[in-house]
Amino acid sequence: MENVTKTLDAKGLGCPMPVVRTKKAIEELSAGEILEVVVTDRGSIADIPMWAKNTGHEYLELVEEGDVLKHYVRKGGKTTDKEETPVKTITNEEYLEIADKGPVTLIDVREPDEFAAGHAPGAKNIPLGQIDKRMDEIPEEGDVYIMCRSGGRAGMACDTLETFGRKNLIRVAPGMGDWNGPIE
Amino acid sequence: MKVAIIASNGGLFDAYKVFNIATAAAATDGEVEIFFTFEGLNLIHKEGLKQLPMPEGKEHFAEGFANANVPSIEELVGMSQEMGVKFIACQMTMDVMGLKKEDFADGTEVGGAVTFLGYAKDADITLTF
Repeated sequence: MENVTKTLDAKGLGCPMPVVRTKKAIEELSAGEILEVVVTDRGSIADIPMWAKNTGHEYLELVEEGDVLKHYVRKGGKTTDKEETPVKTITNEEYLEIADKGPVTLIDVREPDEFAAGHAPGAKNIPLGQIDKRMDEIPEEGDVYIMCRSGGRAGMACDTLETFGRKNLIRVAPGMGDWNGPIE
Repeated sequence: MKVAIIASNGGLFDAYKVFNIATAAAATDGEVEIFFTFEGLNLIHKEGLKQLPMPEGKEHFAEGFANANVPSIEELVGMSQEMGVKFIACQMTMDVMGLKKEDFADGTEVGGAVTFLGYAKDADITLTF
């Protein structure tokens, strides 16, 4: 399956470990992102879809490859599908080209510990949860680039800012999770 | 989903039944509380939980447990607590058996039958093992 954000390898583990690990893994994703769960436990064929149904996530597909079972689950909650949001998006590579040409305003909406572990040069950290309270730190004029790890949180940040009338936002996706540029 | 469990038996099979359901429920966003009473206290006894007995005549399942790669009870206890499963040890049984709160897995609380009933009265699922 395409567009898998994260793969969880739980091969060899028996009940209840596949669902326990799946729960932990999906907590690290943003709404709309897809988790691939790779297991050998055949109980998971019934368990993972039931787990998804009861936790508000969308079970997409089971792929069997011999003894290996691959489950695909889309994280529930508010989604940021590109089709639904008018947020302008560019790729990491496009952003790097723009940043090469001169100073840019880049907001990294990940959590402070993720930011501290490495971020794009010149990025300012405003975690998604604080975006509505720290809006005065985001310029109203000129392009403002918004980035996170995979694009989910950046999309939500753009949505939030747009509801307050901001129109100068450009999402950089996927973001730091697949970053080949310089790191500070 | 609110799940109330009574654990009143102290064998290895009993432990798996209790902790598998508890961790699965917690992983499914359930709120879980387990009331450990009588021999069920073995399941959270710091020393006892490492050497829970197989039912007599079923010792040959030991190999099956190893092959199926199921976690140890120690791991399941730790995992349960990490996921917010609440342990309540029965005060009356502790008095009878001369056990102290410190004998049990860290984080275990102590209560009586009414403590459990107060929790279980609006539980969606109540199980007894």
